[in-house]
Amino acid sequence: MAPVDVVVSGVGVAVSGIAGPDDLLRRTPAGADGDDPARRLTGKGLRYKDRATRLALCAGRDALADAGLLGDPGLTVPGETVGVVVSSNYGNVDTICDTVSTIAEETYVGLSPMALPATASNVIASWLAIWFRLRGANLTMCNGSTSGLDAVNWGRLLLLAGRVDRVLVVGVEPANAPVRHLVSGGRSNGEDDLRLFDGAAALVLESASAVRDRGVEALAELGPYARKADQPAAVAAIRRTDPRPVDMWFGAGAGGPDGMTEQTSHDLTTYHGHCSGALGVLQCVAGTAWLSGHDRGAVLATSDGDGSDAAAALLLTVGGGR
Amino acid sequence: MTALVVGMGAVASIGGNTVEFFDSLCAGYSGLAELRGFDRSRYRAQHAYEIDDRPAPGCDETLRASRWLEQAVAAALADAGLDEDLGDTPVLIGTTLRELRSVELSWRDGVPFDVRDLHFGTALRKRFGATDTHTVANACSASLYTLGLGMDLLEIGAADTVVVAGVDTITESTYGLLDRCYPEAPEQVRPFDRDRRGMLQGEGAVAVVLRREADGPGPGHRHARVRGVAMNCDAYHPSAPDAKSIALVTREAHRRAGVEPADVDLLMLHGTGTALNDEAEAQAVREVFSGVAPSPYMTAIKSMTGHTAGASGLHSLVVAVEALRSGVVPPILNLENPIDEVDGFRLVREHAELATLRVAQVDSFGFGGLNAVAIVEKVS
Repeated sequence: MAPVDVVVSGVGVAVSGIAGPDDLLRRTPAGADGDDPARRLTGKGLRYKDRATRLALCAGRDALADAGLLGDPGLTVPGETVGVVVSSNYGNVDTICDTVSTIAEETYVGLSPMALPATASNVIASWLAIWFRLRGANLTMCNGSTSGLDAVNWGRLLLLAGRVDRVLVVGVEPANAPVRHLVSGGRSNGEDDLRLFDGAAALVLESASAVRDRGVEALAELGPYARKADQPAAVAAIRRTDPRPVDMWFGAGAGGPDGMTEQTSHDLTTYHGHCSGALGVLQCVAGTAWLSGHDRGAVLATSDGDGSDAAAALLLTVGGGR
Repeated sequence: MTALVVGMGAVASIGGNTVEFFDSLCAGYSGLAELRGFDRSRYRAQHAYEIDDRPAPGCDETLRASRWLEQAVAAALADAGLDEDLGDTPVLIGTTLRELRSVELSWRDGVPFDVRDLHFGTALRKRFGATDTHTVANACSASLYTLGLGMDLLEIGAADTVVVAGVDTITESTYGLLDRCYPEAPEQVRPFDRDRRGMLQGEGAVAVVLRREADGPGPGHRHARVRGVAMNCDAYHPSAPDAKSIALVTREAHRRAGVEPADVDLLMLHGTGTALNDEAEAQAVREVFSGVAPSPYMTAIKSMTGHTAGASGLHSLVVAVEALRSGVVPPILNLENPIDEVDGFRLVREHAELATLRVAQVDSFGFGGLNAVAIVEKVS
């Protein structure tokens, strides 16, 4: 099969205090007192959707619009040609926990049938598909700390395998009491220093030729990806495939690329808290924003494998369209 | 591109390995029993198809799904002649509910649970040294979706051997909400019967080792050939299926596999015994197989396994592979008054039938309108 260049053609973000992808490059806390991004979405059909779904719809809409795929109304391309990949570890944990609490207090009779779809962890990807009429292959990755970067790579694999022509990738996590319980092992009461990310990031992937055919800009190009036992192994695997110098590193911890300084690295968790399944997509959106301000260069995104089953790394470079 | 199934492992209420699993189905042995792990006073429904491995009646524990997954993967690797050190070999795990049962026990009862065990990569890293693991939460079509993704990895050359798997346990949240949704509590799963009341959940795990056929001889068996897998999304409703979209994905699977409807000898139906699924699936089958007479043999395993959710697609595939090889098609139990929509379908009922089979189709559909259809072929 001929190699295909896969590029980012649109980005979106839904985080309190963040107006757009460029704001992810600010080295200051996002400021939790900003407007709730989920309120940007209005209209019928939002009842019964959990917070993660609402956040994902906001970021997803921005990414599709940025890619020039949202017409008035509907998509500018056939729905069967668009796939969805969502990354979230905690998206429906609140529904699960609220439901067992209700069963304990009131038996099954106290439940609302409308909560049933959200007991399955694919509910976010399912609503994205329904909301935007995306009928292609639809995946939900719940893959721990590497999940976001894994999701971006699965989006690329769907393109390479010829399953779809473009993919909406969304990373999202909600902050709430059940997530806090789960992440802290039951030890956090909300008044300690555990900071949970509450937001979503989204990007659209297409082949470079599809982007050219549509006459839109390639914002960044995907380079190699690896999921390995730890961060040094993941980074080394990328360097073997593409040894070009890294200009900006989105990551933290031991075993990152050589020669990085405070100025050439961004640890998004410092400003946005524990991002879990959203992290990799958030890094790629931030990396795309950084590349948009440069004529050349390479950005490396990594998930620190410290304490996890694995680490992942993904390289982004300036898109071929400029 | 075609791939060979070179190893298989399966765990369910009706058996702890593929031989027990298939023999139970052919013998009409069901895993249906009264609820074992939950407080029954909280529910109207009282039955499920659970694996009977809890430490004591009414006492539940964490990480049961992870344990069954390890068991199924270990069996599949042994069957494939591979050692247990997986390293960079990709493992794709389809699931609806991950380790969310453990989350319930942690939240409500304070049972210790490490968040890193919520996805299955952690357990697979510890047991098999696996680093390229992917937990795909694609509802009840999840493991057939992972079969399609595994085929893609082989086709684009990203791997030479892939392990695809599925696993699910029953959560109280899903059990309780299903109980709340159905007009009457089901006492058993009755696919395609007029008196079906809905589905009851089942527990289990399954794993399949795939290799590119073009690579030539290698370790393991030549159980069957996977000719193609199609997957799509209805983009229509969060839980109700769409017959048109199911027909589309079926035709796409035939196209990818290079087969015509008349080539299909055996159809493993998704057959959940819910009002909506069985109607939509039958409509789609009627549309795609119109003019094919007699129809393919058709069966569905959930009357004996319960709905094993994320594992169900590959559970059906394992049955298809064993049926192709043995010429024995297990029956659908509890099908006394078939719905009009299956009129003329050659459904295998009550007793196993002998048949000469070459090509089988496996259906798997899930919440969110996630559909996957696979075509497998007998290897001579």
